[in-house]
Amino acid sequence: MASVSGWALSPQAEAAKPEPDLAAGRAAYGQYCARCHGPQAAGDGYDAKRLYPRPRNLTEGVFKFRSTATGTAPTDEDLFRTLTNGLPGSGMPDWRHLDEAVRWQLVYYVKSLSSVEQDAPAQPVDLGRDPGPRHADLAAGKRAYEKMGCAACHGAQGRGNGTSAPSLTDTWGRATRPADLTQGWNYRGGSDTKAIVTRVLAGIDGTPMPSYAEAASPNDAWQLAYYVRSLQQDPNWSMIAHAPLAREGLPASLDDPRWQRVPRVDVRLRNAMNEQGEWALPQTVSAVSFRVVHDGAAARFLISWQDPSDDRGDSPDGLALALPSAKVVGDSVTLQLWPMRFSPPLDLCVWSAKSLKTNEGVVRRYDTLLQGASQAVPLDTQAAYEDGQWRVMMTRPLAPANLPNAAQITPGRFTPLAFAVWDGGNAGQRATSSWVDVVMDAEPAKAHASQ
Amino acid sequence: MRREPQYTWMFLAGVLVAIGCGSRPQDAAATSQEQGGAKPVRLAQATEGSGVAPAPAGSGTIRGTVKFSGAQPAATHIKMDADPQCQLQHKEPVSKQDVVVNPNGTLQHVFVYVKSGLEGQTFAPPADAVVLNQHGCMYQPHVMGIQVGQPLEIVNGDATLHNVNCKPANSKPFNIAQPVQGMKSKKQFTAQEIMVKCACNVHPWMAAYVGVLPHPYFSVSGEDGGFSLNRLPAGDYTVEAWHERFGTQTKTAHVGDGETASVDFDFSG
Ligand code: HEC
Ligand code: HEC
Ligand SMILES: [Cu+2]
Repeated sequence: MASVSGWALSPQAEAAKPEPDLAAGRAAYGQYCARCHGPQAAGDGYDAKRLYPRPRNLTEGVFKFRSTATGTAPTDEDLFRTLTNGLPGSGMPDWRHLDEAVRWQLVYYVKSLSSVEQDAPAQPVDLGRDPGPRHADLAAGKRAYEKMGCAACHGAQGRGNGTSAPSLTDTWGRATRPADLTQGWNYRGGSDTKAIVTRVLAGIDGTPMPSYAEAASPNDAWQLAYYVRSLQQDPNWSMIAHAPLAREGLPASLDDPRWQRVPRVDVRLRNAMNEQGEWALPQTVSAVSFRVVHDGAAARFLISWQDPSDDRGDSPDGLALALPSAKVVGDSVTLQLWPMRFSPPLDLCVWSAKSLKTNEGVVRRYDTLLQGASQAVPLDTQAAYEDGQWRVMMTRPLAPANLPNAAQITPGRFTPLAFAVWDGGNAGQRATSSWVDVVMDAEPAKAHASQ
Repeated sequence: MRREPQYTWMFLAGVLVAIGCGSRPQDAAATSQEQGGAKPVRLAQATEGSGVAPAPAGSGTIRGTVKFSGAQPAATHIKMDADPQCQLQHKEPVSKQDVVVNPNGTLQHVFVYVKSGLEGQTFAPPADAVVLNQHGCMYQPHVMGIQVGQPLEIVNGDATLHNVNCKPANSKPFNIAQPVQGMKSKKQFTAQEIMVKCACNVHPWMAAYVGVLPHPYFSVSGEDGGFSLNRLPAGDYTVEAWHERFGTQTKTAHVGDGETASVDFDFSG
């Protein structure tokens, strides 16, 4: 079984596995890893507080991404894979650019930092056999998803919004969240079916995600993995969004089928740092999707994002669509850092889940608008929350008449646009995007499916 | 000959304490029905007649109660509405288990064990498993003891998913899923530890504490606040009482063959 369950590395990689040389490993560690993982590997490097989850204390011997029984050491190949691919969605970068020999020395060095190898040697889990995509039975996979209780944490549609999600903490006492299974690009340990089977059977130690090795047969786990894979949605990352001209009128509602003809653009978000310059909360909103159309006079946006909880109380969910104000010339500040002292005002369209309304204003701070500033202009808005997802439709004049210094959107020209999203259920954490360019096209929508 | 009846009586007392602890009587009854008579807890010394060689039998006993002299904490109820399967199993609101003060002013869920005095002696672990049940989305028992190397049988008595996330510092940690009612898993702890915490992440109120010892001399205070360490070899002992919120207290005691020493603890919160 051992050979089956190790990660399938190329035969060359196996052959290249060199003899351990701890001095070489230690030197490479000091050069590449210490700034995050710390000089003594205690997870307390210089950059540690600016990362969430925190870099691992490698002396504890707790490893998340294993192909081995819960509580046992990872295989060398597990660690090699983590180093090679990094852990997407966390601060752990990939080290593909390092020679394989160096990566192997780092693997040996990481292993030497804790006693887990001696205390609980790697015990590969039986991954069974891949039935192959043609024998994948998504209905059986869905049944397994329900029977195994994945939804308790990951939610019925896998959006990370299960009933237990907000209460989860990791072994180190920090708040953590179940992965949003629809965001394959955000899986730490790989989004392919084999990676999913491995996660399910081995569990993710140090986190609430348990091992199902005793609960699910390898065959059920494969069907489950094909189902989970089918939940993943391909993102359309883009720096440019086109807003087609809607000759037959703007889509009238959130569910208007005319939206389907408008291309969707996805934008990544990152949590803003707190006042101490730290990342102190898990990332619950990782991306925003939007579509935009215009009719020559106004632009209508359909914006959606996954937020695990519907919060409309005093710490409400919220969204800001940011445009540079008319006074700003050239590149505007990055939204990650805004607002700072002396930073320019922005034109913000701020929607709050408390009022379900949007107000636009040219402001130097978010809170002036969140608290309903007096000089704000209301925008026509519809919003709905369903199973872990907000959808907000807002309409903004291309050239607002009654708002001094508002951004003027000129068809045919690039208009920068960025998003900030607040999750009330995550202590009001704000997550922001970088700027994307939007062009109001002179052409009607091309009839192509965009999902 | 004179010792015989007293001995039996003590044994029974031990079992009563065992049944009383960790669960209310009606829960215990429900459990035995569903789980084919699995008792909520079986102290290691309660193995007589089960075909397992008992630990080298002494005949001393340390007995006592754990009083509580602090302010009676307000009972806090657990909100189970997130999982209807949990809610369904309770007609009455369920109180938190961290501080349970009995009507007679004693404290429940205190783990009492011989901390020192047994050095140099070895006690083979019983082959019988200690059962940790999950019933009504509560652990039964809430606090328990087990010997190093003794099987721990973890049972899901509920028709909902529990994950059992046990984080010993001295043994191999594990986090396993039990999605199906009736599922059982066998685990063990390989080294002494006061206490191992096990928790369920699906139901954040679920926590159990397991004392892992190289000997069978431990007990958990029950609904009368009593505990009893039975069949001790004659000797001088340090006995420690551990409570999840109020920490630990130690007392010393001397027992001779056939004698009963009494030791009381008093937590004030
Ligand atoms: C920019 C910061 C950063 C650098 C540099 C970095 N790491 Fe990490 N590393 C992290 C973070 C953050 C995590 C935790 C990810 C998580 O818990 O999901 C992590 C996790 C790990 C893990 C745990 C994997 C597992 O399965 O749980 C290992 C092993 C590791 N890093 C090794 C290394 C090595 C070796 C280097 C140097 C080549 C390195 N890291 C460099 C940030 C970093
Ligand atoms: C008790 C809560 C819980 C349950 C139940 C649970 N998970 Fe998870 N799962 C998590 C958490 C938390 C993470 C994030 C771990 C991390 O990276 O820190 C996660 C991560 C994952 C990942 C992403 C791994 C990666 O590479 O980033 C997958 C895939 C996954 N779970 C699948 C499942 C499936 C399928 C089930 C049901 C068989 C399931 N989970 C049950 C809590 C849970
Ligand atoms: Cu549970």
